[in-house]
Amino acid sequence: MSEGDGAGGKGSPPLVELEKITKRFPGVLANDEVSLELRAGEVHALIGENGAGKSTLMRVLYGIYPADGGTIRVRGKEAKIGSPRDAIGLGIGMVHQHFALVDPFTVTENVILGEEGGPVLDIEEASKKVAQLAEQYGFRVNPLAVVEELSVGEEQRVEILKALYRGVEILVLDEPTAVLTPAETKDLFGNLRKLREAGRTIVFISHKLDEVLEIADRITVLRRGSVVGETRPAETSKAKLAEMMVGRPVLFRLKKPHVQVGEPVLRVEDLAGEGKLNGITLEVRAGEILGVAGVEGNGQRELAEALIGLRKLDAGSIGLEGTGIVGRSVGEIRNLGVGYIPEDRHGQGLVLNMTLWENAVLGRQDDSEFSTRLGVLLIRKIKELTARLVGLFDVRTRSVDVNASTLSGGNQQKLILARELETDPKLLIAAQPTRGLDVGAIEFVWTQILEQKAAGRGILLISAELDEIYALSDRIVTLYEGRITGEFSPDAAPEQVGLGMLGGAREEVA
Amino acid sequence: MPTESKAAPASLAARPQWFEGFVGQFLALLGSLAIAVILGSILIVAYGESPLEVYSSILEASLGTVDGIGYVLAIATPLIFSALAVAVCFKGGMFNIGVEGQYLVAMVTAAWAALELGFLPGPLLVTAVLAAAMLGGMVWAAIPAILKVKTGAHEVVTTIMLNGIAVSLLAWAINFPLRIGERPGGQNVDLRTDQFPDGALIGDIGEFFGVTPGAHLSWLLFLAIAAAVLVWFLIRRMRLGYEARAVGSSPGSAKAGGISIGATQLKLFLISGALAGLVGMQQILADKGHLPQNYIVALGFTGIAVAFLGQNNPIGIVFAAILWGILSRGEVALQIQSEVPREFIIILQGILILSVVITYQIAKRRLAARQLQRAGEAGALEDSAAPEESSEPREPAHEGTEAFQPTNERDG
Repeated sequence: MSEGDGAGGKGSPPLVELEKITKRFPGVLANDEVSLELRAGEVHALIGENGAGKSTLMRVLYGIYPADGGTIRVRGKEAKIGSPRDAIGLGIGMVHQHFALVDPFTVTENVILGEEGGPVLDIEEASKKVAQLAEQYGFRVNPLAVVEELSVGEEQRVEILKALYRGVEILVLDEPTAVLTPAETKDLFGNLRKLREAGRTIVFISHKLDEVLEIADRITVLRRGSVVGETRPAETSKAKLAEMMVGRPVLFRLKKPHVQVGEPVLRVEDLAGEGKLNGITLEVRAGEILGVAGVEGNGQRELAEALIGLRKLDAGSIGLEGTGIVGRSVGEIRNLGVGYIPEDRHGQGLVLNMTLWENAVLGRQDDSEFSTRLGVLLIRKIKELTARLVGLFDVRTRSVDVNASTLSGGNQQKLILARELETDPKLLIAAQPTRGLDVGAIEFVWTQILEQKAAGRGILLISAELDEIYALSDRIVTLYEGRITGEFSPDAAPEQVGLGMLGGAREEVA
Repeated sequence: MPTESKAAPASLAARPQWFEGFVGQFLALLGSLAIAVILGSILIVAYGESPLEVYSSILEASLGTVDGIGYVLAIATPLIFSALAVAVCFKGGMFNIGVEGQYLVAMVTAAWAALELGFLPGPLLVTAVLAAAMLGGMVWAAIPAILKVKTGAHEVVTTIMLNGIAVSLLAWAINFPLRIGERPGGQNVDLRTDQFPDGALIGDIGEFFGVTPGAHLSWLLFLAIAAAVLVWFLIRRMRLGYEARAVGSSPGSAKAGGISIGATQLKLFLISGALAGLVGMQQILADKGHLPQNYIVALGFTGIAVAFLGQNNPIGIVFAAILWGILSRGEVALQIQSEVPREFIIILQGILILSVVITYQIAKRRLAARQLQRAGEAGALEDSAAPEESSEPREPAHEGTEAFQPTNERDG
């Protein structure tokens, strides 16, 4: 690989060289002699599935993890990076997926935190500097705004500004677009291009291939802790990258089965509650996937939770095959035939420190199949069911006796799917079903959802990923500020749906 | 579990997690004991005594004679009930600090039953007395439980308040309704209840083992051990325990699964209260035979320490209570045989609790690492389990053994 770099290197010496970095975690070789070069003024994409070791590698560079082997050279000199502070001193900054901002502080206060420059704060001076920095790179953010009032995209800009304020030359962004809307992503890319023009180096960690192809100058692909290849956008394609990442060809468009659409399974009318739902009306029929598109925070979570009975409503009705379910308990609603794949896998899906078999019947422990009338669990039966589900859904695990926390994200989701589909629900509510999953797992989940449709179930798919909505839905509605702002067929242009996601489509369509 | 015939990809025959957890806990307990002994030695040396002599006198007094063992077990008996009461609530993510108040109220209701139901024949009377005690504990536990479920009032606050009320309630009871009658001769009468009828008392079992009657070793010990087994069964084998653990570890997931959090917590609190009700019985039914004014206090609080030492594992609690008993019994030896003040034992118990925090953490991490390693061997990690995310501060309670802190709420 280094030969290739030498040939195409335009004479510029690498700014950062990672050489044979090895990092072990108990039972996992996260980085296996990974070598990587970063050049001044490039956007270098680091791609790979979850767990391929890309974040780990960058955390080693940023001084969060000590490496078990290998060397790091910055500007030709070997560097010992023992902490993020060391990294920043060397001009390396990193923005994590989860932001570390103080919510009640202003943008400026957040940016200067830890770099106040003396016992007496000169906020005005600092604000000017922050504003200047923001303007230079085209960051639209008000230095005096309070962080808790900012959108996620704006918060991310603050995080980047924090790094720039510290004079960072090499900026590592860990999955920066995972939390952004398409429009915000566009803004971010604009910022990144300006940073590149100014000679800064950007490491862009992602598994979204379209974005990588759009923004990167060079792409390094990691798989299972090793570099499997390095390429440039011009020399590759989405399919090729995916194959490098996964190790086998991946289908991006699954064939939607043709199903005779039946009677309405779910009928929601004028649903309102908690100020987050402002009169939602929709219908899901048997054998149909209704995709609810929308920027996060527009009532998706509330809608899903209201349908499964987790939220109180102010108004509206929910009919499940004609039976009103408003006011019923979660248990009752589930028993009526509703499966629920929650958006928060850990907070609502699994009990992480309980075993797989205990998780596999969560919600069904009352069944006479799984416990006696006196309340004694029929553990052997539960384990048999779990073993069957684990086999059927290809949940990779050593045993059904281990805790759910030992499963990878994809396998955790498979376990939830297995549990929710085992009861043969009439309606499946799938909220952000592939969030944080890698390409292989996404393919699996999508296939399962399409199979459910083929089996004649009604599916309400709530997703912030427009790709996902398009890949699966038979009809698409957009959700904005707790209202349905448009209905589209999957043939509609994404731009139109995008408008609906911003609340503007109602007039145009209806 | 060897009955799985079909070639399931996930084997059912792995060593169960709770077993590994149990072994880990046991080693951790030994480790913390070692730490406590070493630090204690420094203290003893500072007093100019020989650690070897002091420790051997503690052991001699507690385990050296049959009588000593009898004393140890008698001390452990109420602590087992008390720690179990704490553990049951803890499994559901709640902190019952009110065991203290619950057993005080239970002593009152038990005393009332013993004095008022004297017409019942022996075995029936003692059963009724124990039932009254459990009921008293349940009633006192129901108050914070209902407040929590209905209004969201935190059980730590409400149970602490109710502890205070219980002290006054007991004082009132032995001052007025249950106060001992005037003795002939008009002497000053103690502030206590009348002596209970014999049928209400719990039989001494010391004589079967050659233990002095002074130890008051009673068959309540067997009841305590049986309670531990039952609690274990409840937690590990029954629906309620399963639901409790789900509620305690991930209330959101439990709720989304259709489990009623309020109902589960209410049930747990009632069971906890019933167990708490038995805490005082060793004292009034096996030892004194009446409810005295200078009753032993703080058994409920000690129960929290014992539950912690036993990591809320019912079987672990039995051992932890016995260990506590050994140390408490050792106090007597210290007073007689050395210059080291008796408070040394309290310090030793404190060190034990502190070092247990450390050793359990170590054991838990090793256990978690082993689990991950196995998961790795099973090829489940093409998309890694924890490591990729693990720089985020993570709730530590996700691994094998049970953590002391409830995962959903941290109590002071």
